[in-house]
Amino acid sequence: MIALSIFAASPTPVPTVPGAGIFSSPLLLSLSIWVPVVAAIAIATMPNPRGRYDVLMKQIAFFTNLGILFVLFIAYNQFSSFLPTAQYEEKVPWLAAIGVSYHLGVDGPGMIMLILSGLIGIVSVLASLGVRERVRSYFCLLLLTQAAVNGAIVARDMFVLVLFWAAAVIPIAILILGWGGPRRNAAAWRLVGYWGLGTAALVIGTLVLYSATGATSFDSDVLLKAAVSPRIQLVVALAMIVAAATRLPLFPLHGWARDVYADAPIGVTVVVAGTASRLGAYLLLRTVVAAEPSAAHLLAPLVAALAVLTVVYAALAALRAIDLRQAAGYLSMIPGGVTVLGLAALSPLAITGAVLSLYSGGLAAALIVGVCATLADRAQSRSLSVLSGLAARMPNLTWLMIIGGFAVLGVPLLATYLSGVMTFFGSFKNQPVGAFAVAAGLALAGVALASLFRRVLFGAPNPDAPGVSDASLGETWFLGLLAGALLWVGVFPSGPKLPGTDTPLFDPGLINVMGAGVSEIASPYTLPNPSPSPSP
Amino acid sequence: MKYFVLAPEAIIVATAVVLLVATRLAWIRPAARRYLPAISALAVLVALGVELWAGATVSTYFGGGLVQDRFALFAKAAVLVTAAIALAVVDWTAEDSMSIGLAMPLFAAFGVMVAASAGDLVALWAGLELAAAAGVVMVSLRRPDLGLRLLVTGGVASALLLIGLAFLYASAGTSDLTAMRDVLFSRVPTIALAIPVFLLVSGLALRATLAPFHLAGLPASLGASPLGAGLLLGLVAAAAATVAIKLAGALTPIPSVYSTYLEVVAAVAMVGGGAAALAVRSPRARLAYLAAGQIGWVAAGLVTHYRSGLGGSLFLLGAFVVAATCGPAVMGRADGGEAALAGMGVLRPARAAGLALAMLSLAGAPPLAGFFGEFAVGAALAQSGHFGLLTLGLLGSLLSLAAAVRTLRLIYIHSPLEEARRGSALPVLTRLSTLGAVVFCGVIGGYGLFSNPILGLADQGAEALGLR
Repeated sequence: MIALSIFAASPTPVPTVPGAGIFSSPLLLSLSIWVPVVAAIAIATMPNPRGRYDVLMKQIAFFTNLGILFVLFIAYNQFSSFLPTAQYEEKVPWLAAIGVSYHLGVDGPGMIMLILSGLIGIVSVLASLGVRERVRSYFCLLLLTQAAVNGAIVARDMFVLVLFWAAAVIPIAILILGWGGPRRNAAAWRLVGYWGLGTAALVIGTLVLYSATGATSFDSDVLLKAAVSPRIQLVVALAMIVAAATRLPLFPLHGWARDVYADAPIGVTVVVAGTASRLGAYLLLRTVVAAEPSAAHLLAPLVAALAVLTVVYAALAALRAIDLRQAAGYLSMIPGGVTVLGLAALSPLAITGAVLSLYSGGLAAALIVGVCATLADRAQSRSLSVLSGLAARMPNLTWLMIIGGFAVLGVPLLATYLSGVMTFFGSFKNQPVGAFAVAAGLALAGVALASLFRRVLFGAPNPDAPGVSDASLGETWFLGLLAGALLWVGVFPSGPKLPGTDTPLFDPGLINVMGAGVSEIASPYTLPNPSPSPSP
Repeated sequence: MKYFVLAPEAIIVATAVVLLVATRLAWIRPAARRYLPAISALAVLVALGVELWAGATVSTYFGGGLVQDRFALFAKAAVLVTAAIALAVVDWTAEDSMSIGLAMPLFAAFGVMVAASAGDLVALWAGLELAAAAGVVMVSLRRPDLGLRLLVTGGVASALLLIGLAFLYASAGTSDLTAMRDVLFSRVPTIALAIPVFLLVSGLALRATLAPFHLAGLPASLGASPLGAGLLLGLVAAAAATVAIKLAGALTPIPSVYSTYLEVVAAVAMVGGGAAALAVRSPRARLAYLAAGQIGWVAAGLVTHYRSGLGGSLFLLGAFVVAATCGPAVMGRADGGEAALAGMGVLRPARAAGLALAMLSLAGAPPLAGFFGEFAVGAALAQSGHFGLLTLGLLGSLLSLAAAVRTLRLIYIHSPLEEARRGSALPVLTRLSTLGAVVFCGVIGGYGLFSNPILGLADQGAEALGLR
């Protein structure tokens, strides 16, 4: 309840964090895109006779991500939480003849997505330290993926968004094909197919909007704020929902999820579950909820139904899975369903919850797939008929798996609890059936998780199972970082304060940072019945 | 000084003729032959420099037979860049004759340049035929049977074009493209105009190896040497596309006589090219089908009959001609089958990167040249309300992308074969070819980065055709 009172309030000016203002760059967001690209090119072109510099390549990838996270943390600290407009904007004409500009910028939701991406970037490198084959290609592709995800987050021009959205597909597909598990071919082709379909839908939606607004500009500020007819809004919103559903994923466009989460290398799984798939919900937020209120109202039941189907399907599939990594893959779909429920409810509180769940859901999904993949690696088996009674022999992984499972369910003290509570409290009025059904789906997911814990962790040890070992230091670090980030926001959503004052320490608070942009997005939904946009 | 603008054409033709004559008469010592590719590429770069320096002057020559405008400047610059890279990047041990291999791309480039600056129907036809003839020579060097086949189908294409152009001339009463456009403003679309335009579109589709007219051109390109394949897939197709764009500019007053044909041809090419690229296993065949798919996008831009559409097509044509011409040349002798490319990323990193970028660019993958071009065409299609064609194009691009990823897996994931490790199945390494591959990667990767001036010039090119 205390948390609720914090979240429901409109954002307030937050006193300056000590150290804010020490660093400023007009290219801050560009750095988050192009530094990984430059590092990837450096790795691709550096000589590496007989793999002599494999370790150096890993270090380059790690320190690149660390540097980006540092820069992003400064940006997060200096973010003006009471400004509803985009910040750190960069705008340069690009394809002037068709109205494209290199326009970047972030508002509150974008900033927390960037922080999430920075965290996941570090985590993915740590999770990939065990890669021994074709190290150069692996880290090169991982950095390119990171750049594409960051680019899609900060894009304020629809062309730039399409470019980075589509650019993520190829490196991820090759990473799966090259370093994936036994079903890597199916996983990669399904990913290309579904994400390609989503990209096509995004392009069509964008071009319909471009055409309807006079074909003068692809700038989001022009396209997404233009008054277009309800029919056009509906077409655009449907296209964007398809694009989002392929990426998040939402039932029935989730066909890639099981194979990718089960057979991609651990570092790639973490990136896909943590950030690349969150882009789907982020797109829905930007292009439907924030831009097309009439269509959002009209399609809200459909979106809520997709959320319900996704959560219930994922829970049931996890319940009957016989493969640990596949079960984790299904479970990682659940936070996405909760996010989409919040976006379907169209109330300020639910939208706030959905935005927070972009961050918390990304971490929870990354944690559950990461910990299950690591456990399967360490136990030398992923079959649930083989894995049993591992808690005593894998104490670290057991704790982390429990935290991951709890994070998926939204247990108190974790960030997903806050986002879940806000989403459900904000949804019960506008989408009562949807909220109830998603809650029921979460209960089913709880059953699936309990069954998984009982069998894998706390059952009788299987004497015929291969030898097991607990997580290595690197694995503990990457999983611990994910769990720590979930706990941190769960405990300090508004950031830690100096005792007895309102002065924040090093963290201004995720809720404060995201608040401003959310209030702008939610403004059309503050009235009971917002009038539709006028026809042009 | 007026004719100085034509100096690039003169340099190109002179270089080609000197190469042929000097080699035939044994003026060049065998030891000096290894410098010929570098010298030829340098000559092309000089021609490019002159074109960029002097080509901005708008003027007409030979009584309106040739026109130097922004369209000509764009197309000539694109084809000269392509020719320079192609000559540099070729693995000459995989070619049948160095002198002919150097001269024919120059003649083909000259053909495209003539077509690009054509002011009337005769010059258009002459430019296209010159480029196509160079292709026949290149194919015949290795496979005379395929050369003959190409000659026959080329003859059919030429006949269709000639009949179409003659009917068009008869209908409009002039062969001058600008005058024809002015005359057609006062005409209504009739069956008498639709029939020759249908013949023209068919002839051009044959020349550009557009599906379903690719059945003659593609096998010929698969049997030719790497440079010969690049010449057919890139330069000859670009010549046909250049002619198509110029004709579309002249026919814009009566778009209904050609837009339906073009729509069908573009849709079949985009989807069919992507599907075929996914189905075939030979890397060169895959590249050829990817090229066929992208030339379908060029045709789709013409359907719009708007300036933005023609500008987008021209912009994409620039990206296409570089990738389609240099792609097979970069691949070199590693074109025997999928296994030949295995591990190329380890053994020939620069060439492997070039081939990967060529494939991805032809598939329309971001952030490469082809993506920017296809998006520009897509924006024009949306602007003109052709969402069905746009959707089919996106489907084709999706299939093409999957095909390109298959090749990337071979290049970067698979381990090299023992034969490849010994080097016999891979292109020979030379400084010039490695430099050429690096420049090629830079052009494909940098096309998008510098797309503002490039698209601006393409847009001015479309404006030069009389479109507003």
